[in-house]
Amino acid sequence: MARFHPLTVTDVRRETRDAVVVTLAPAEEDRGIFDFTQGQYLTFRHKFDDEELRRSYSICAGKDEGVLKVGIKRVDGGCFSTWINENLKAGDTLEAMPPMGAFFTAIEPDIAKHYLGFAGGSGITPVLSIIKTVLAREPRSVFTLVYANRQISSIMFREELDDLKNLYLGRLSVLHILESEAQEIDLFTGRIDAEKCKALFKSWIDIKSVATAFICGPEPMMLAIAAALREHGMRDDQIKFELFASAQPGRARLKVESAAAADQGASCEATVTLDGATRIFKFPKHGKSLLDAALENTMDVPYACKAGVCSTCRAKVLEGEVEMEANHALEDYEVRQGYVLTCQCYPLTDRIVVSYDQ
Amino acid sequence: MSETMPIEEYLQQGGMLSSPDNVPPRYRGELLRLTASFVDSELAGSAGFADIINDAPGIQERISAARIVLEKTDHAGQVLKIMETFGVDGGRYAAHHPWAARLARDADIGAARHGGDMRLAVFHYPLEGWEDAVVMNVLMGAASVVQLKELSRISYQPLAETFRAILPRERRHAELGAAGLARIVADDEGRATAQTSVAYWYPRVAASFGHAGSARFETLSRFGLRHQPNETLLAEWRADVDAQLSALGLIR
Repeated sequence: MARFHPLTVTDVRRETRDAVVVTLAPAEEDRGIFDFTQGQYLTFRHKFDDEELRRSYSICAGKDEGVLKVGIKRVDGGCFSTWINENLKAGDTLEAMPPMGAFFTAIEPDIAKHYLGFAGGSGITPVLSIIKTVLAREPRSVFTLVYANRQISSIMFREELDDLKNLYLGRLSVLHILESEAQEIDLFTGRIDAEKCKALFKSWIDIKSVATAFICGPEPMMLAIAAALREHGMRDDQIKFELFASAQPGRARLKVESAAAADQGASCEATVTLDGATRIFKFPKHGKSLLDAALENTMDVPYACKAGVCSTCRAKVLEGEVEMEANHALEDYEVRQGYVLTCQCYPLTDRIVVSYDQ
Repeated sequence: MSETMPIEEYLQQGGMLSSPDNVPPRYRGELLRLTASFVDSELAGSAGFADIINDAPGIQERISAARIVLEKTDHAGQVLKIMETFGVDGGRYAAHHPWAARLARDADIGAARHGGDMRLAVFHYPLEGWEDAVVMNVLMGAASVVQLKELSRISYQPLAETFRAILPRERRHAELGAAGLARIVADDEGRATAQTSVAYWYPRVAASFGHAGSARFETLSRFGLRHQPNETLLAEWRADVDAQLSALGLIR
């Protein structure tokens, strides 16, 4: 299982009013495991009042910069991103797992390729890493970036992109689409939707020449772009998605404390929710796992190994207490949040409430 | 561009997910169930085929059988790597079940999962000698190709990419099987044995496509984990193997 390693914060630079770029250095012995591929992300953890939160942020550095950098935009109500934007400073330590993700294609130095990137807001971070890396390592390749933002002042890495255009003359073109700021050409104002894609592909971007398209941004934008790309003849294996972490909740909810009542019964009443439907059934406290009991009650709950290894049967205990016989898949912080492997799960209380939907 | 939408809606409209951090809990469960079924089937299939290497009649057949055993194990390993990103203990997983274990030849378990692993029911039946193994490989190889084409569109992008990479190699396994079967049916004795094996394996492989009108399919397609219903895939498989078998004179 992947482990966390300490990274030293060597710089925190304000990029826009609500985004920072954090430069990080691994310990000497960890340099190898933090040798990332362009477009990958790091998962960080931090404790907020005893509650551990984890968040993933894309690396925005290129392979040849020799450093680890992540760009982090403050999300409204986002506990982690706000903390990083307001409190993090050089000299601090952040804990991160080794780089993960497959938002990249193999570097082929001898081949001339046309890459197309779409980024919405902070979705630029992995795309920037890819741009820097392919321009440096594939001398014959070119990159077209379509970059959507609300207004000029919220554009992350605007200057850095300009510098890259000058450094790699003729090989990087950037089309800025601004939602609420008028531009000389109407096409570059508004949101990226099906209609705008169509217009872009008609007069600005030759889709037939594109080898791979990278898309990172909010869900509706990604759907509109992917649909337009397919419509213009691109295959699924030429389109790479990276959904950024907009769906992550602001703060983990605390586990409901169970009433320490006298739980002497031999059986347990389980209330189990799956796909929004709830069933209540009784089963013996000993000799039968919660998973088996749910299956016997004709619930189509997910499972695979039944050995506490694969975590397919993971669910969350909302009320009551259970114990797990074996756990080789859930981490301590998940267990603290109430997650259990239902194949290994035996009730301790007379009543439990469990959900597979959370 | 901060506007978002519920992840279920995004998936229903053909959106792709790319990291364990973004997947909803129920999606996670179904994705792991699906990957576990693939890994278990590959490991069980490969383990069953390993014994057959020694039944191979010639050096070329021996190499083909060994290659199938090797590559199917590798495919299991590739998908298990993706499961590991969800917290699965890959080391324990690969050793948690006796993959070579089989039921009796005449056991009748239908399409139901059996015992402690998620292999397709067809992988619980034992192979009986070289000809039988080749027939099974032809029929199941064609089924794997149909299933992998379907799974190459799965909404979890790292998995879709892995399945796309696996597909041509599984297709090659099916072709090796077809070449082997053509050699077997060249004489009358071989043809008779093959015919018996086709009668045995055909319904069992067909059952591995699952029920028509499956409720699980509804859930999976809502998440973009499946696209074409079981009956459509089954029909595609039938068309493929029926053509192959009738060309060899094994069915009318």
